[in-house]
Amino acid sequence: MLRRAFLRVAPALALLAACSKSAKIRLALNWKPEPEFGGFYAAPFDKHGLDVEILPGGAGTPTVQMVGAGSAEFGIVEADELLLARSKGNPVVGLFTVYQHSPLGIMVHAERNLTSIGDVLKEGTLAVQQGLPYVRLLEKQYGFQHVRVVPSPGGDLTAFLADPKFAQQVFITSEPLAARRKGVAVKVFPVSDIGYDPYTNVLATSDETLRKSPEMVKSMVAAAREGWRVYLDDPKATNEKMHQMNPSMDAETFAEVAEAQKALIEDDETRKNGLGAMTKARWETLIGQLKDLGYIPMAIPAEECFRAL
Amino acid sequence: MKAFRNILPPLIPFVAITAAMEFLVRGGFIRSYLLPAPSAVFLAIWENWGELAQAMLKTSASAMAGFALSTFTGIAAAVLLSSSRWVQKAFYPYAVFFQTVPVIAIAPLLVIWFGYGMQTVIASAFVVSIFPVIANTLSGILSTDPALRDLFRLYGATPAMTLFKLRFPAALPQIFTGLRVAAGLAVIGAIVGEFIGGGGLGSVVDVARTQQRVDKVFAAVLLASLLGLALFGLINLISGITLRRWHASEQSL
Amino acid sequence: MADTAVNAAVRPGVALRLEGVRRVFEDSLHNQFVVIAGMDLRIEAGEFLAVLGPSGCGKSTLLRMIARLDQPNSGRIVTESEKGGREPEGDRAQTAFVFQDAHLLPWRNVLDNAALPLELMGVAKPERREKALAALGQVNLLEAVDRYPAQLSGGMRMRVSLARALVTEPRLLLLDEPFAALDEITRFHLDVQLRELWRSRRMTVIFVTHSISEAAFLANRAVVLSRRGGAIKLDRIIELPEERTNELRADPRLGQEMKLLLGAIEE
Repeated sequence: MLRRAFLRVAPALALLAACSKSAKIRLALNWKPEPEFGGFYAAPFDKHGLDVEILPGGAGTPTVQMVGAGSAEFGIVEADELLLARSKGNPVVGLFTVYQHSPLGIMVHAERNLTSIGDVLKEGTLAVQQGLPYVRLLEKQYGFQHVRVVPSPGGDLTAFLADPKFAQQVFITSEPLAARRKGVAVKVFPVSDIGYDPYTNVLATSDETLRKSPEMVKSMVAAAREGWRVYLDDPKATNEKMHQMNPSMDAETFAEVAEAQKALIEDDETRKNGLGAMTKARWETLIGQLKDLGYIPMAIPAEECFRAL
Repeated sequence: MKAFRNILPPLIPFVAITAAMEFLVRGGFIRSYLLPAPSAVFLAIWENWGELAQAMLKTSASAMAGFALSTFTGIAAAVLLSSSRWVQKAFYPYAVFFQTVPVIAIAPLLVIWFGYGMQTVIASAFVVSIFPVIANTLSGILSTDPALRDLFRLYGATPAMTLFKLRFPAALPQIFTGLRVAAGLAVIGAIVGEFIGGGGLGSVVDVARTQQRVDKVFAAVLLASLLGLALFGLINLISGITLRRWHASEQSL
Repeated sequence: MADTAVNAAVRPGVALRLEGVRRVFEDSLHNQFVVIAGMDLRIEAGEFLAVLGPSGCGKSTLLRMIARLDQPNSGRIVTESEKGGREPEGDRAQTAFVFQDAHLLPWRNVLDNAALPLELMGVAKPERREKALAALGQVNLLEAVDRYPAQLSGGMRMRVSLARALVTEPRLLLLDEPFAALDEITRFHLDVQLRELWRSRRMTVIFVTHSISEAAFLANRAVVLSRRGGAIKLDRIIELPEERTNELRADPRLGQEMKLLLGAIEE
């Protein structure tokens, strides 16, 4: 009796087992659903035969470790994070970059009439993520003797609004817009001005996943590329979807940021080589900078760090 | 010899676990970027001792200041709450607020109110550690032996006399229990405050995490734990001396 | 009698009158329990009265009301002065209470525990010390004055409690099964000691117990309360010599008194 019941159920179980093999592909984001990830939410994964689950993140989500540990097949990381990870024995590899140029910047009150990033460090308070390489570079170039360095408050503008001498690490596409909406005139100095310009919001996976499932990875990149095309052309529908998931950013800001970030995503480079394309030269520059700053002990071959798929 | 007998038991699991971890990481069973080998952690402590020692001093100062504040404020608040049932019913729920509010959520608020600097870290340590002091002190004061209370009443003792000569001394064992819990919490509160407000071991953890230096993260965490342990030990010592002559539970410590 | 003449300088005990005393308890569900249904009792000055009865018969409640730690729901308890009128209620030194457990303050030494009532009444330190030492001397505890309760045996702790009760030279001494938790030998000794203390001071003593032998041994007069409602089933003068030593334990007269008391309890 039992044997017959089992034989009837067995094929269903086998199918179920097979299905769980081609299980959900997890894409871990390093922040909440915002325009910086728009193309991924717009991506036609189904069309490419991929069952993708996007895992929204927040402050400090360790996407690089998640990919390394296998709790996500893909993650959004920064190029410098990726190099650090590789140097520590966590072989993560970049596939597609959202931002061709780093959107990191230092935002100050416009009324201070500062002309260069060096001026920011002459007085007042500077709120940054102190562990980031660009901060070390900034310190090396200008020194922090005259400015008080405090932890970055994330996207929170309260301290900035309360103190005219407060300078804050921001994404060019994000906090400045919010500040202007609050009626404060601001000026932003891009970090790339000091020559530090890592690829930002890089879609990455582990060497192992790439080796084991190259076709799946290729499809993933293709879908992402299509998604970003769709998002750049018309972000409205995707913005609405993301706004549902992240009501802390209002609909107008979604639209504004989506518009403001276009220049960082699509430029002559991408029009030539396709959206998300990366070059060996840029990776090599970054590797050199991290070695000089003492973040990595020795140079890593750039070809190992990314793939053009 | 007695000191040796007290240190040896907790030392054995520590050595065993450390050895196991070392083996697992060196042998590649655990990836070193997820969990560092103990030897790497000790090396990180050694190499960064200057920075870590200074950070540890800063965190200790903030934690102890916050703890001192919650000790005095907590005991005073509990004494006030014990004065009448109405006062208790009206205000105790607000004391519970300190227990339940997630400090990660209010730490940014503390920075806004107190600014960047040690005062915010102390405030954070205070907020996190005050509730056990209030709860245990109040419980101690309210659970005085009714026969003794009758005795005091019989001889016409004023409420103040009953509080200071009976209820408060009788509550000391429970007060110390509350302080023991609060000590560890004060360290945690200080570290969280430092994540947001900067400085101390919290800042070391935050920066090292961004730099993916897991060994340094664990080094700072280890030192923070030792700090909590030291504070706990200090309370135990004071408790032992104060209660030496009269409380049965102190004899076994 | 010779004894009373020697101790005329000591303040004699008070007399008490209970008139229609009724005590009802109400629990959280508003169920009512009549603990004492309406008691009339007169206690003479300097009497050693034993109150006997099974557990839950209201004897502890009665004692607490006499101590004014509790109030009757109706009826009254009147303290009479020797002149026969009402005593002013202000004088706190009058009443002392000894509980079933010693209930000492563990953070104070024996001397400070014994002196506690005087401290609460605002007596100056040197006088407190002197009187506490005197009281501790009466219970033979002078060698332990610096020790702490945790270092004392149960019997010694009870003696400190007794000294504490005597330190204000009370005119009414109330004891609620004070020796029940002690071993028999200690109890026998403390019984004798208590009786002697009473003989030298002649305060009124009300001793609640559920030990028939203790009641008969210690008291001049015994009342037996009913199981419920505090009705007096027996009120008897104990016919035994004034001076009671442990030799009396084997005396058949003690046995006779006990039999009478037992009979009242059992019916």
